[in-house]
Amino acid sequence: MKKKYALFPGCLMPTEQYAYELSIRETLPLLGVELVDVEGFSCCGEPMKSVNQLLTLYLSARNLAIAQKHHLDMFVPCAMCHLALTECQHVLEKNPAMKERINGMLAAEDLTYTEKRHIVHTVDLLHDEIGIQKIKEHVKKPLQGLKIAAHYGCHILRPREIGRPDDSENPQKIEAILKALGAEPVYYPQKLDCCGAPLLANLPESALTKTGQKLQAIQEQQIQGLVDVCPWCHKMFDSRQTKAGETVAAKLDVPVVYLTQLLGVAFGISTEKLGLELNLSPVEKLQLEGAK
Amino acid sequence: MSIIDLTSMGEPQSELQKELNERLTKLQDEISDYCFQCAKCTSGCEAHKLLELEPHKIVALLKRGLLNELVNADVIWTCMTCLKCRERCPQRVAPVEILFALKNMAVASGKQIPGKYTAMLQSILSIGLIQDIQQTTTRTNKTVKRDELGLPPLSKPTDVAKFQAGIMKIAMEKV
Repeated sequence: MKKKYALFPGCLMPTEQYAYELSIRETLPLLGVELVDVEGFSCCGEPMKSVNQLLTLYLSARNLAIAQKHHLDMFVPCAMCHLALTECQHVLEKNPAMKERINGMLAAEDLTYTEKRHIVHTVDLLHDEIGIQKIKEHVKKPLQGLKIAAHYGCHILRPREIGRPDDSENPQKIEAILKALGAEPVYYPQKLDCCGAPLLANLPESALTKTGQKLQAIQEQQIQGLVDVCPWCHKMFDSRQTKAGETVAAKLDVPVVYLTQLLGVAFGISTEKLGLELNLSPVEKLQLEGAK
Repeated sequence: MSIIDLTSMGEPQSELQKELNERLTKLQDEISDYCFQCAKCTSGCEAHKLLELEPHKIVALLKRGLLNELVNADVIWTCMTCLKCRERCPQRVAPVEILFALKNMAVASGKQIPGKYTAMLQSILSIGLIQDIQQTTTRTNKTVKRDELGLPPLSKPTDVAKFQAGIMKIAMEKV
């Protein structure tokens, strides 16, 4: 059965984290997921939460209302967006007064929020909706011998009470997916540490230090690489890795890839189509081109 | 429509302040009932080691009613919003939510917004997203943009005037 979702791109993925979007568009349709491009989405509002929470709620509700207008469930590959939209839906469902207030504002764009959407992230879409068995069936070039660590990202794990894609303290779904691809997921004590990205707006040095510390720990444990599933985390670990290294006085060379990129490699898709050239960390060390 | 309407850098937003005050008072009441200063929040805090944020102390100060001091403290802006404090609190206190309310209050009181938040907000107002399409480089130093990679057009508000009118209502609500 085909699963149909509106692809909610957010801000960061469609404006600079192109590798995530490329690899999503290459891999998910192979697994029977139909991604619908919908016009008119905006920022989810999460980056503005420190400034004005009502604005966050409004922007999220606006996006939910657009998906509702198209009668579509939402696939949200960004952890931050996924939290904002899920939390907004949780608030609107529990607080009728707030729902009325927000709908009053949404009227400016002839939008209204009335019904819940099913909102999925990359991790639960792959693990729960598609399933490990189906992923295994599509593997053409198993990632044998690849010892790699998973970074989940805080916002897809917490807060548990509103429903998140994986367990808040012991998430295992990325590891299960990696095993299905033939790789060997590695545990490391810093697994739940933050990437630092939420501080990028006002304390960029500290944000990068946080990134550097985690990458340094991974490097010291001689783990081959890191897998992530959020454009913000990836921006820190991959795009800014050199800068992050400077903050901890270390020369970092940890290959960092999106889970969907590894998925694509294991499915036999060319690394070019998966945007692997766009990763700035030394991903060539993983020798994915010659995956057997 | 200007950014000042939303962030009150000119005039303090009295209605919004009132609303935030109510929220903080409610948090304060709940906290005095529940928080017993176990500091489990601080032990897991991502911003603790690096930036000396101590969520349990924020809770204690709010409990004592030191609202102005907290609103004006730089330390409230060090939270990484990892949400571990909210997840792990045995009393369901959620310091991260207190910090969001305090930061919102600082902004509504006309305190200068730190860092790039203003620029991001401006970008949201003009194009609906925190930034427009960026040129990125490959590992071999080639520059690429979205369309060159065969990706479809960016999804963003189609009628910007209507989009701004919606956001304007948030700014209007305070008056």
